[in-house]
Amino acid sequence: MPPSFPRDALGLGLRIPHYEHLFEHWPAVDYFEIISENFLGAALPPKRNLERVRSRYPIVLHGVGLNLMGQAPLDERYLDSICRLADHVDAPFVTDHLCWTGAHGVSHHDLLPAPYTNDLIAFAAERAGAVQHRLGRPFGLENLSSYVEFEQSTMTEWEFYSGVVRESGCSYMLDVNNIYVSSQNHRFDPAEYLAAIDFERVLQVHIAGHTREPNGTIVDTHDKPVADAVWALYRTAWKLGGPFPTLLEWDDHIPPMPEVIAELERARSVRA
Amino acid sequence: MSGAPAWLDEFQAMFGAALRTPLGSGSGTFRASPSSYPEAIRRVALPAGPVSADERLAVYNRQYWFRLFGVLQSAFPLTARLVGHFRFNELASDFVTRHPPRSWNIDDVPDGFDAFLEGTVPETGVALPRSTDTVEREAFLEAARIDAAWRRVFSAPPVAPFRPTAQDAARLVDSHLVRSEAVALFSEHRPLVELRRKLGEIPGEKPIPLPPRLPVPASWALVRKPAGIGQLPLEPQEARLFELLAAETVGRALSLLEAECPESQRAALPARAQAWLGRSVELGFWTGLSASRPAS
Repeated sequence: MPPSFPRDALGLGLRIPHYEHLFEHWPAVDYFEIISENFLGAALPPKRNLERVRSRYPIVLHGVGLNLMGQAPLDERYLDSICRLADHVDAPFVTDHLCWTGAHGVSHHDLLPAPYTNDLIAFAAERAGAVQHRLGRPFGLENLSSYVEFEQSTMTEWEFYSGVVRESGCSYMLDVNNIYVSSQNHRFDPAEYLAAIDFERVLQVHIAGHTREPNGTIVDTHDKPVADAVWALYRTAWKLGGPFPTLLEWDDHIPPMPEVIAELERARSVRA
Repeated sequence: MSGAPAWLDEFQAMFGAALRTPLGSGSGTFRASPSSYPEAIRRVALPAGPVSADERLAVYNRQYWFRLFGVLQSAFPLTARLVGHFRFNELASDFVTRHPPRSWNIDDVPDGFDAFLEGTVPETGVALPRSTDTVEREAFLEAARIDAAWRRVFSAPPVAPFRPTAQDAARLVDSHLVRSEAVALFSEHRPLVELRRKLGEIPGEKPIPLPPRLPVPASWALVRKPAGIGQLPLEPQEARLFELLAAETVGRALSLLEAECPESQRAALPARAQAWLGRSVELGFWTGLSASRPAS
């Protein structure tokens, strides 16, 4: 299977509850995205499943453990493992998040925000560039859904994000659901965010569902269909910079695979 | 590579401390207590609209804990259901507070949870919430050991099974069999393996009743297979043979087994032992032979 796919490809996040359907029907999906960390351990069953998937579909890697903006040096052994996995599946690109996940020896297993400052752009960009160099393939940074901002910030999130992408020479892994979630939580105009993106540098766009909590905070739960407001934002993004590969993430209360594929296919009509 | 901005270290220490602040469970649900967060992070977090800065930080605090509760529940499903998820999460909270995650691999979080329970569950057992009932300590710990065995077998690295050659056969008697990490052997005093198998049919988070004790303990082998993990009931003498093989050469283990065997069963023992060993080789229990006792 060649590792490439068309620029307007539609992909799915590979999830365990879908294996049975996938291995029986091999549905028409342009590519799959795997959570890198799920395939780095010694356990044999994930590796066997990955081999089956990669025999039929291109695979891209999406990490949650790089800790790009953590105060400690990057974990060299972890990076080695990601490089080996990317080489093994011949990933067209690798992505992770513009965030920190751990500090002072503790991993929080969450994608955490930090103040948006110039000195942090420089720090994150240098490290992201080094990761891309080491991977030897395009590396994309995903914008977070965030629930809190900090008074030390000296710029908007999109200025920070674009600054890191530009200075690092890396790419955007643009999550339009996350833009929507953060825009609601922090009261900014998501269209202004999209207008700041250089779509030439977008490796992939993520879409997903979210949940509104009783106090009004929107949480990025990936447990529902994509909200209409997010589809509308996706349409705007497509008009501004399409085509780009589009990937649907569904991580909790996962419906049967045909339903998830049907949700992904909505992207075609939304952008038509 | 340049260092991190000077302020980042302190910022992450403060934010990290806030999100690791244990959730209170005294009210019967797990609740964040933002007043316990470090003042330094509360001062710089911004409110938005009607949602206060404390409430915004609390989103991360709850996510940290509920994500880890979920990981521990998945890794120890039988243990969790015996006491119900609420009580289990209290135990998980104690464990994570003392052993915060150190690795990028979230699947490492439950490592050592069974040993932690051994060291902390009191002789009186685990008291269930809003009830006078308790789950007996030995049964609870046995469930934790069974869940831990499942994790070990699933996570074991791939290894080629031992397929004896003629040369191996010649030295078998004086050698130790090296057991595969993808195999676990254990015994149970209640039908917990069967209960674990049926957990999917008992949805919910409430405690499930502990089944009555078995007349005699049952022995099991867990074996990783291409399609999943197989659970294999073992005869008492077969289980004893594998126990002896953990410490002794094949020849010595067979001799000891024979010496322990009742007179009435002794004549049939060699053929049965050969069948047990043959099946264990076929199922990939072993990875090879060793002249010395393998490390356990």
